[in-house]
Amino acid sequence: MRRPAKIAVYVLVTLSVLIVAFPLLWMIAAALKTQAEIIDPNSSLLPLHPQWSNIPDAWNTAPFGIFFFNTAVFSIVTTLGQIVNEMLAGYAFAMFDFPGKRVLFYLVISGLMIPFTVVIVPVVQLLADFGWINTWPGLLVPNIASALGCFLFRQFFLSAPVELGEAARIDGASELRIFWTVYRPLAQPMIAAFTVIAFLQNWNNFLFPLVVTSSEHLMMISQGLTEFQGAITGTAYNLLMAGSLIAVIPVLIVAMVAQRKVVEGLTIGAVR
Amino acid sequence: MLPALGLTVLFSVVPLVMVVQRSLYKGNIFGTNLTFAGLANYADVFRTGGGHSLIVTAVFTVGFVAVTMLLGFGIALLLDVRLPGLRHVRAFFVIPLVVPPVATAFIWFTFFQPNTGLFNRLLNAAGLPQVTLSNATDAIIAVIAFGAWQYFGEIVLIYLAALKALPRDVIEAASIDGAGAWQRLRYIRWPLLRHQTALLMVIATLYGLQTFTQIFILTNGGPQGATQTALYYVYQEAFGLGASGSIGLADAMSVILFAISLVVTIIQITLVGRSARAAAA
Repeated sequence: MRRPAKIAVYVLVTLSVLIVAFPLLWMIAAALKTQAEIIDPNSSLLPLHPQWSNIPDAWNTAPFGIFFFNTAVFSIVTTLGQIVNEMLAGYAFAMFDFPGKRVLFYLVISGLMIPFTVVIVPVVQLLADFGWINTWPGLLVPNIASALGCFLFRQFFLSAPVELGEAARIDGASELRIFWTVYRPLAQPMIAAFTVIAFLQNWNNFLFPLVVTSSEHLMMISQGLTEFQGAITGTAYNLLMAGSLIAVIPVLIVAMVAQRKVVEGLTIGAVR
Repeated sequence: MLPALGLTVLFSVVPLVMVVQRSLYKGNIFGTNLTFAGLANYADVFRTGGGHSLIVTAVFTVGFVAVTMLLGFGIALLLDVRLPGLRHVRAFFVIPLVVPPVATAFIWFTFFQPNTGLFNRLLNAAGLPQVTLSNATDAIIAVIAFGAWQYFGEIVLIYLAALKALPRDVIEAASIDGAGAWQRLRYIRWPLLRHQTALLMVIATLYGLQTFTQIFILTNGGPQGATQTALYYVYQEAFGLGASGSIGLADAMSVILFAISLVVTIIQITLVGRSARAAAA
């Protein structure tokens, strides 16, 4: 590659990284500005005297502690549920023959193809019938099934060697034991990638909690942020950005630490 | 295993049947006072701005898919160049995908504020007219731009993985035969990526059809319904308007949205099947 071409590639890559990073850098800068700097159209991009107090101020404007706690409970429980549930279901579909298997599998696949947003109205009606609106079961239970997870784990176990299980079976191991000690460890990389991506998706879920809860003590961080927006005055965009910063930081840390798994998860998710 | 299936059936298949059935009835959100209405809800959808919502959905989705695909493919090509350092840049493009869209939507919301927002400061400096979220055209461009910013990383990642998996010997052979970079892209790499491109267009289309959070925060469907997509219409009728909303209309629009998604999915299966057969032949 010639030199000008190399330079052009680097320039374009830098530009595209800036497209991604700039809004976040802007958020950090704005979160540390004074109210006067926010409403001054000629203020510099960087805060003159960083207002670190904006962050505790934002934190105290809305119950962010509760929001984080709820989001953590929601993400951990639903992600764990999805993994346990779908690993077992995928395993059963891949390894065993049973009556009605085809029909059941098509049912799961149809669950994969129906965008959840299309059925959100009847799901809320079902939850209302159960008396689960504004409750933890209403938030958690409908999210524990993941058709995508079932599909991915089935595909994975279909390609796992049958001989391993047969050898264990001859040695007298129970089916559950075969699953747990022989096949589950094989699926470890898949579990890791699915965990990271399911966790992030659950963490960011906005529409579902929005329509199932209205009480503040059950709110997740995304919905909480909209509450927070309602609580600050008019153009206090420095506080709005400080609140957004609070919501973004934990996810950013997870994404950076588990970078490789995130990339893997996002690419397998696209199989659908 | 049974619980998994039970839950999937209960929370996706049963509601689908319910939504189709309920779309034929008039009634309130609690499902009481139901009266059979035939296709009246569908007619009423078009009488109450649903047709406009479908047009907004089409405009948004086409713009969203075009921008994400172009940006995604272009950047994937850049990152595929074998130069030191580029390997580590990939992780950056994941960020908008994984941080809460509500938070990033607020950032973009401030960008559009009159005089003080970033975009308007830049436009002012260049002596150009300002943009505002209370103008219909600006608002739809804003939600497309933000939606694309939030999602294009996915396209980058998948194209990049596909580019890395291309048979290197074929490309090198072409290079030895004197094909330049543009010719290798036009006649070898692009055709080899046809399958990925078709798949990605479908994935992006389905994502575009389901976009909600981005619009909810940035424009709230406004101004005057200019960014009210079909899904937003469903949300408004079912949850947003309280007692004056109509659950029958929400159900009817959900069924329409489902039919559109189904057509897109069938196209996907056909395209993937065809390219798989072509590869096998």
